Amino acid sequence: MALRRIFQLASSLKEIGNHYLKPLQLARPSLVASIHTTSPKLDLSEFFEDKKNWTKDNIQVGRAYNQAELRLKSNSDLHKLWFVLLKEQNMLLTMEHFYKQNHALFPNPERIDKVKISMQNLEEVVRERNRAYWQLEVGESGERPGEERHNQIGLRFFYRKFEHNIPCEAHKKWARHHTHQYRDKEVRRFLLLLNEKRWQEKRRALNRNRRAVRTILRRYPDVDREALAAKYPDVDADHISIQRSKEVRPHKYIPPESS
Amino acid sequence: MSTRWYPVYQKGNPQLRVFLPNYWMKLVKPDDKQPPDVVQFQVPTGMSNHDIKNYLEKIYKVPVAEVRSAIVAGKCRPWRKNAYIIKEDDFRRAYVKLQRGTTFQFPDIDEVDSQSEAKRKLEASSEEAAQNTTSFTNKQDGERSGIPSWFSI
Repeated sequence: MALRRIFQLASSLKEIGNHYLKPLQLARPSLVASIHTTSPKLDLSEFFEDKKNWTKDNIQVGRAYNQAELRLKSNSDLHKLWFVLLKEQNMLLTMEHFYKQNHALFPNPERIDKVKISMQNLEEVVRERNRAYWQLEVGESGERPGEERHNQIGLRFFYRKFEHNIPCEAHKKWARHHTHQYRDKEVRRFLLLLNEKRWQEKRRALNRNRRAVRTILRRYPDVDREALAAKYPDVDADHISIQRSKEVRPHKYIPPESS
Repeated sequence: MSTRWYPVYQKGNPQLRVFLPNYWMKLVKPDDKQPPDVVQFQVPTGMSNHDIKNYLEKIYKVPVAEVRSAIVAGKCRPWRKNAYIIKEDDFRRAYVKLQRGTTFQFPDIDEVDSQSEAKRKLEASSEEAAQNTTSFTNKQDGERSGIPSWFSI
């Protein structure tokens, strides 16, 4: 509130005359933390780490940039940060190779992962903004279009579309290698067998779980039902009979439990 | 147009710009002896000679005269006593010739390696171990000869 009042005051003062604003402008730098910058080297020595770090066993660094704090930055800031990260990544990869060639231990290799995570997050934020801009201006997401298609043996895959120099209809050579349909009898037979195989796998997994639950219930009748349901969510423990089937009954007579 | 999806370039269109290039580059020690103005790099296989030149000139501000490159197959090697074979990633080996008057000397690790912390620690511990052994054997040979080693420290 106080800040808003100051701005209102400033805007009203602006109408009167700029010289009234001078005290406010002078006061501003003390509010902002002083910015530290290093002068860029701009040559091939940027591919190598600072020489004073070469003798160090452990190089302390911070964490990766997360998306929340990258969202606060402007587009130009993100663009600059991308190149800082890119150079850092190149430097780390060069140093890793360098240490490996010299049979030495590369200190803190997790730095590479941190840079990669930062770059991923930055790209995601840029993409997010791009999507928002496109939705606002065009009504589309602006992402690369794609759809699910079938290949020649009838398996589904996600086809990512792209621009063509020659239209697809006119490009016979391209169309020969990109057949996204199936007609043959053999393919239908193959799909039938494939579905059967997948269903059998599913059925076997369910039976295996049922058998496991039955064994547990037989051994530990007071087992925690909730934990059991959490471990085997596809099996209904209340509808499983713990009676031994005739096939697995041993030769010796076991009287039924009286409980 | 989203990131990482570039339109097909048609002649006469404005030049395509890459705003967030994601190519990496490794500066490596040359395999063979090279003139002082030639630098060897390892880059992704997708990069072209033009890409390498632009990358170095625009991002690193290094004056490049010429680039020659070729794809190198990653090495295959057995793993876990011939249990299976693993293949390292392919890469593009690039020789970059810098412009006249620019030279590059690949740094030598020996000058700093002798003072490295890890090496110093290793040397100190090995020295300590050697001293302990000599003092123990001296004791056994001298004042405590004939007494078993477990008698005291």
